[in-house]
Amino acid sequence: MSVLQFIIANYKQVLFLTWEHIYMVGLSLIIATALGVPLGIIITKHEELAKRVINGANVIMTVPSIALFGLMLPVLAIIGHGLGKVPAVIALVLYSQLPIIRNTYVAIKNVPPSIRDAGKGMGMNKWELLREVEIPIAVPVIIAGLRTAAVMNIGIAAIAAYVGAGGLGVYIQQGIDRVYPEMIISGAVLVSLFAIIVDGAMALVERIVTPTGLKVQKRLVQ
Amino acid sequence: MITYDHVTKIFGEGANAVTALEDITLTIEKGETVVFLGPSGCGKTTILRLTNRLESITRGNIFVNGKNIREQDEVKLRQQMGYVIQDIGLFPNKTIADNIGVVPRLLGWSKERITKRVDELLTMCRLDPDVFRSRYPAELSGGQQQRIGVARGLAADPEILLMDEPFGAIDPINREQIQDEFLKLQEKLQKTIAFVSHDIHEAIKMGDKIALFEQGRLVQYASPAFMLTHPKNKYVADFVGADRALKVLGIIFVRDVFNPCPENIVQGLATAKETLAFIEKEDINYAIVIDDDKPVGYVTPKILKYEQSPVRDLVKAFPDHVRKRTSARDVLSFMLMHDILTLCVVDDNGNFAGTVSYNDIQKKIRETYTGEMKKDKGDRL
Ligand SMILES: Nc1ncnc2c1ncn2[C@@H]1O[C@H](COP(=O)(O)OP(=O)(O)OP(=O)(O)O)[C@@H](O)[C@H]1O
Ligand SMILES: [Mg+2]
Repeated sequence: MSVLQFIIANYKQVLFLTWEHIYMVGLSLIIATALGVPLGIIITKHEELAKRVINGANVIMTVPSIALFGLMLPVLAIIGHGLGKVPAVIALVLYSQLPIIRNTYVAIKNVPPSIRDAGKGMGMNKWELLREVEIPIAVPVIIAGLRTAAVMNIGIAAIAAYVGAGGLGVYIQQGIDRVYPEMIISGAVLVSLFAIIVDGAMALVERIVTPTGLKVQKRLVQ
Repeated sequence: MITYDHVTKIFGEGANAVTALEDITLTIEKGETVVFLGPSGCGKTTILRLTNRLESITRGNIFVNGKNIREQDEVKLRQQMGYVIQDIGLFPNKTIADNIGVVPRLLGWSKERITKRVDELLTMCRLDPDVFRSRYPAELSGGQQQRIGVARGLAADPEILLMDEPFGAIDPINREQIQDEFLKLQEKLQKTIAFVSHDIHEAIKMGDKIALFEQGRLVQYASPAFMLTHPKNKYVADFVGADRALKVLGIIFVRDVFNPCPENIVQGLATAKETLAFIEKEDINYAIVIDDDKPVGYVTPKILKYEQSPVRDLVKAFPDHVRKRTSARDVLSFMLMHDILTLCVVDDNGNFAGTVSYNDIQKKIRETYTGEMKKDKGDRL
């Protein structure tokens, strides 16, 4: 039986697992953005904090995902969520922090000082400066950070199948257990396909939210 | 009015400390343009940035309209001052119209009012609103961007303007015209302006007063004419240039020196004979012929001898006439070119308004050098 046949025969389950995967990655990305972007912005105003926060996010990134699940298990078990989607989403949120915080921080920091001074000098308050100038200029790089995080998380979410989180990783995990190559490959292909589609979609988002003026600037500089 | 009271600014600490400004005391009166002049790194930008609190003052105080800026809300303080930054700093994500309209929008102006204001300012900066309004900064040349920077600073019609080398990147022809335009505007609006420049020509042209800096210290604070004629020390003399007497010519205008009722005037219908008699009686070398209020030329005894017709048919024409707003520099250049020592002054309709001679100009220069400074406004000497 080929991979395609496997997918067609099990399309209902495939759809369900895909949905689980989307759910985990989507939810974690929303939470991670809500945490990471403001944090990234805040640390541009507090240099001391910036080093610590980014180092922290770096440390998290170096912990292998399986190990992270293992570490979280006893802690989350206390509230009865040692296994399942909760540890998965928490892990994904943690892993996303580095690309999101770092990109946000760098993007805001890279706004030319002359532009910031012009805004301040004309009497914009901090919030107006962020909203009108800093964020619009930083937004392409911030979205690029989200894009990295999303693609990375699709891969990590596949591993979360081992803690019973569901998603397309289930095919890989069970396929290995049962020595069932079609199942393994179906899982791998679907996860990869999903990653490619999300990557393309995020690239599109990046294009859409980039202010026209910046696109013009980029075109002219080239 | 802006008052600097013993202002010192030191960047950094300990071994790395840089004294950017040292004990600066000066006042910019309301409605006056003061040019902060000096070589690179002498603290010109710093003094502007202290004024709108982009930098903090190390020692001393700055008062804006009598109020200590330390005690004011910095956002409010900045909103009452237009700021034109040296590096232009346009917002790349906004159109030209939105860039110019930033402060009016912060202040809550209506859309129509902002649009109208934007077009007005673009026109003033010699940029066609229909072409430039919806472009982005990246699509403009450096000089055009700088003009937008100036327009943005002026947008909300602030009472005080801080301008940091606002015309530095503009080509000479456009710069002259924009400077002229700006001077005309300033004559009408009477804003209080702190204007940074490192160009002595610009300083002489734009400033009611010039503050000359050397490495963070104020060396001389005086009117352009006074600085040119009475440089305080060698540094000032060198900075204003060896040709400073010639530069004085740039700030003397025909209106300051001309003779509105010269005596050697004859009407065009007078006969040659009458005119000859007039010239002999007055003991002059020539007479200027006016016909229908317009200067048509001049006549000398040599031309008039043996002639019968009315003088208007005998005249030698002047190469050209000058206006009251022509600078002495241009008049002298004209005199040298055409080998003539007296020219007619005409008004905008071409009607005779008087004469200006080499001697008139020389006398004025001598007066300037001996320190006969008139203080009144409008008359810049
Ligand atoms: N943020 C800063 N930190 C440390 N030193 C500074 C800072 N800003 C300015 N300086 C120093 O202060 C001095 C005055 O600088 P400023 O920018 O006011 O010069 P300027 O007269 O505007 O020069 P230019 O004509 O080149 O623009 C310089 O020696 C400069 O290096
Ligand atoms: Mg400067």
